[in-house]
Amino acid sequence: MAGPLAPTWTPETTSEERSDLDRPWVTIVWNDPVNLMTYVTFVLQELFGYDEATATSLMLQVHHDGKAVVSSGPRERMEHDTSRLHAYGLWASYQRDA
Amino acid sequence: MKPFLAAGGGDLVARLEPAEAGILGLLIDQLEQLLTADPDDVGDDPVVERLFPDGHRSDPEMAADYRDLTEASLRSGKADDLAMVRASLPAEGGEVRLDSDQAGAWLRTSNDLRLALGTRLGIDEDTEPPDDVADETDQQLAVYYWLTALQGSLVDALVASRSGRT
Repeated sequence: MAGPLAPTWTPETTSEERSDLDRPWVTIVWNDPVNLMTYVTFVLQELFGYDEATATSLMLQVHHDGKAVVSSGPRERMEHDTSRLHAYGLWASYQRDA
Repeated sequence: MKPFLAAGGGDLVARLEPAEAGILGLLIDQLEQLLTADPDDVGDDPVVERLFPDGHRSDPEMAADYRDLTEASLRSGKADDLAMVRASLPAEGGEVRLDSDQAGAWLRTSNDLRLALGTRLGIDEDTEPPDDVADETDQQLAVYYWLTALQGSLVDALVASRSGRT
């Protein structure tokens, strides 16, 4: 809709910039020799509302592959998710999706 | 120890021997000292690094931003949990009865204690419980595995009480 604040031109976005902007951020849980498998599953259900099957499969991915992506979205939300996982002692970090 | 079980009314109940309650109280005191110490003194302590890990692994600036944003509330959450655990721990041993808020505090604090001990002891995937207790390291390992049993029963009881709810 045109109005006094509408831009009169649209800045050009290169395809490279576009794909960078579209790439979401992710929160990763890393494997850790201390945290119990049952505990990790419980925390993933508790914090993200995953059903037991989904949480168990993510936990097993952490255990066998060394890490798993447990959530994705805007950077601010991934920072928040990481801090909620840190509050439970899970070894988590966020990054731009690879 | 009688491990945690889901009791009526949503409470979780365990029973601790006097010596077990004493050890837990001591560990809580030690964790509190570490959490309230001057960060300049303990900033590079591996236990502190494990309890407050970097939020971003490859970008130090982002990791610093994350720390500014979250560390104060992580610290106060841990302090609140410790206070709640201490208030619900019978100093002389006996019954521990937890509502769901208290169970959350016990869950996170027992995990922090295991992370702290596990980091000090260099626990890895192949570490085994000690066969007999010959030295101080065996003693600490035995405490670590006792905490593992306590926390494991708490997780199982929480899962059982939740599946009972639905």
